[in-house]
Amino acid sequence: MTQLPSIIRLSFRDYSHEWRMSGCFILALASVLAPMLILFGLKFGVVSSMVHELVENPVNREIRPVGSGRYDDAWIDAYRARGDVEFVIPKTRALAATIQLKSETSARILSTEMQATDSGDPLLARMPRVPRGYGELILSQAAASKLNVAAGDRIDASLARQFQGKRERVHLPLDVIAIADATVTTRAVAFVSLDLLIASENFKDGRAVPELEWTGNNEDGGERVYPSFRLYARSIYDVEGLVNALEAEGVRAKANVAEITTVQSIDRNLSVIFWIIACVGAVGFSFSLGASLWANVDRKRKELSVLRLVGFKSGRIVLFPVLQACYTALLGWLLAVLVYLAFEHVINFVLAPSLKLERELCYLLTEHFMWALGLTVTIAIYAAILGGLRAARIQPSDGLREI
Amino acid sequence: MTVVYNLKNVVKQRVSDDGIGFRLVVPDIQISAQENIALVGHSGCGKSTLLDMLALILAPDESEQFDLHPVGGKDDNIGQLWKRSRQSHLSQIRKRHIGYVLQSGGLLPYLTVRENIELPRKLLKLPDDDSINSLSRVLGIHRQLDKLPGLLSAGERQRAAFARALSHRPSILLADEPTAALDPITAQKIMAVVMEVIRGLKITLITASHDWAHVYKMELRTLRQESEPVADGRIYESRFSDG
Repeated sequence: MTQLPSIIRLSFRDYSHEWRMSGCFILALASVLAPMLILFGLKFGVVSSMVHELVENPVNREIRPVGSGRYDDAWIDAYRARGDVEFVIPKTRALAATIQLKSETSARILSTEMQATDSGDPLLARMPRVPRGYGELILSQAAASKLNVAAGDRIDASLARQFQGKRERVHLPLDVIAIADATVTTRAVAFVSLDLLIASENFKDGRAVPELEWTGNNEDGGERVYPSFRLYARSIYDVEGLVNALEAEGVRAKANVAEITTVQSIDRNLSVIFWIIACVGAVGFSFSLGASLWANVDRKRKELSVLRLVGFKSGRIVLFPVLQACYTALLGWLLAVLVYLAFEHVINFVLAPSLKLERELCYLLTEHFMWALGLTVTIAIYAAILGGLRAARIQPSDGLREI
Repeated sequence: MTVVYNLKNVVKQRVSDDGIGFRLVVPDIQISAQENIALVGHSGCGKSTLLDMLALILAPDESEQFDLHPVGGKDDNIGQLWKRSRQSHLSQIRKRHIGYVLQSGGLLPYLTVRENIELPRKLLKLPDDDSINSLSRVLGIHRQLDKLPGLLSAGERQRAAFARALSHRPSILLADEPTAALDPITAQKIMAVVMEVIRGLKITLITASHDWAHVYKMELRTLRQESEPVADGRIYESRFSDG
C-alpha cells in the first residue's frame, strides 16, 4: 500500500465515521448553493422564455416594406439566398390579390385577401403542407369560421374583372387543405401558391391564363415586377441588420425592433442584477465553505499529526483535508442540484401553468450544473489546501500536544 | 553496544514575547541499542519535549550534535535534517525505525484496532503475516481487534497503542507516560508485558514517567534531570544528562 491510496482510504473512512459532521458540512454547502442555482435557473428560464417566444413567433421576425416598390424575381432570389433570411416571397397588388370565396355551408360570399406561400413559410410551419398549383388553399381561422368550413372541404373561388367593357367572372374549385390557427393571423386570409396569386393578377390585368383556360390578352407584359414582399429574418438578432440592409437600398421597412430591443434590454438588466446577486452570493459561499473547511482542518490537527507521526509525508497530509473537501463539494453540489430540481419542478409544473406560460419558467442546462460543480470544487480545494498546508507546516509535536 | 542516540548541547525553548518561558537543555546524552531508559521528573520538566525531539517530531532550536544510528539503518545527523527542513527524510526514519506511544494512545478513531495496528506495517509494505495476531495476543487485545478504539477501555486503548508502535518491529520505542491514565495494577500489568516484548525483540526503550517507584521496579536506567530558574528567574531551565 503506497501513501496515496492509503490517504484516500483514510480520508474517506474518517469522513464516513464522522457522518454527522460531514452531513452538516454538506447541508451548509447545499443551503448556499441551491438558492443560487434557483436564482440562476429563474433568470435563465425567464429570459430564454422571452427570447424563445420572440424567436418562435415569426411575426416578430417579419420585416414589412413600407409602401409599394418594384421588386423583380432577381431581387427576391438575391434576398432568398442570404444567410440571415429564412423566407421571402413576393406579393402582388392588393386589389389583384382579392378573391371571393363561397362555401356550401354558408350563405355569405367572403371577399378575402390572398397571400402567396411556399415550403419553409414560417407562418405556416405547423401546417402539414403548403398549397400547390391552382386547386388548393389554406384558410386562416377567421376566414374558415366565416365560411363555416374545415380542412378537407371544397369551396368555390371566383375572380371578377372589367375586360373590354364587359364584366367577367371566373370560378375555380379550391380544396381547403388546412386551417391556420389564430396565432398566424386574426384576419381572413387565404394562403395560396404563388402561381395562383400570379394567375389572379394576370386575370385581373386582362391577360389570359392558359393553365386555367381563362381567356384574355396574350401579350407578354415583360418581366414581372412585384410591389411588395413578405420577408422573415432567420432570428430576431438578424432583424435589425436586414432592416438596415433594405434601407441601404432605399427600401423603407418596419419590424418589431422595439420589442426585440426591449427583450434584449431586459436580458441585459436581469443579467446585471443576477451577476450582482451571484457575486455577493459567490463571495459569501466561498467564505462560508472556506471557513467551514478551514475549521475542519483545524479540528483534525491532532489526527493529522498522528498520521505524520506514523510516517506519512507532509504532502500526503495536505491531501487528507483536500479529499474530504472534495467529498463535501461533490455531495453538497449533488444535494443542491436535487433541491434545485425539486424547486424547478414546483415552479414549472405548479406555478407556471397558473401564470399561463407556455414554456418553462425555471431551467438550467447541463453545462450550468457543471460550472457550479467546477466552482464549488475549486473553492473547496483552495480552502482545504490553505488549511492543509497550515496543518502540514506545524510540527507534529505541536499538533499532538495542543489537544 | 552501538550508540543509537548521541546528543550534545541540544536546546529547545519556548519563550513568550515578554521573555518568560521554559528551556530544555541536553548537555550530553548517549543512549545505546537495547537500553531501557526512563526520563523521570515532575510535570513540566520537559520529558515530553525531549521525547518528541528523540521521536523526530519536534525540531531542536540548537544542537551541537544530534545523531541517530538506528539498528539496521543508516546514520543520520538529525540536527542537519531539521535545519534543512528535510521533513520527508525525517518521516522516513520515523516510519522505519521509531514507534511512539502517546499518553492518550493516539489511535485513529475511525479505524478499527486491527487497522490502527496494521497502519505502520502497510506504510512500509510489510507482508500480511500473523504478527498482528500474535502481538495482540501477547498484549491481551486479540478479542478487540475488530472494534473501534472508542469502544475500548483506557487500558485496552494503551495496549493497542503499544501494539501499533511495535507492529512494524522498530528498533526504538518511545513512550510518553503511557500508563499515566491507568490504575496502578493495570499500569503494572501492561508495562510488564511490554517490557517482555521489547526485551524479546531487542528494542531500545525510552519512556517518560513521573513515577519513581514504577521506574525502579522495571529496572530502567534513568537520565539525571535538574532544573533551575535562569535569566533573573524569567526562564525555567531543565537539563537532562546521563546519570
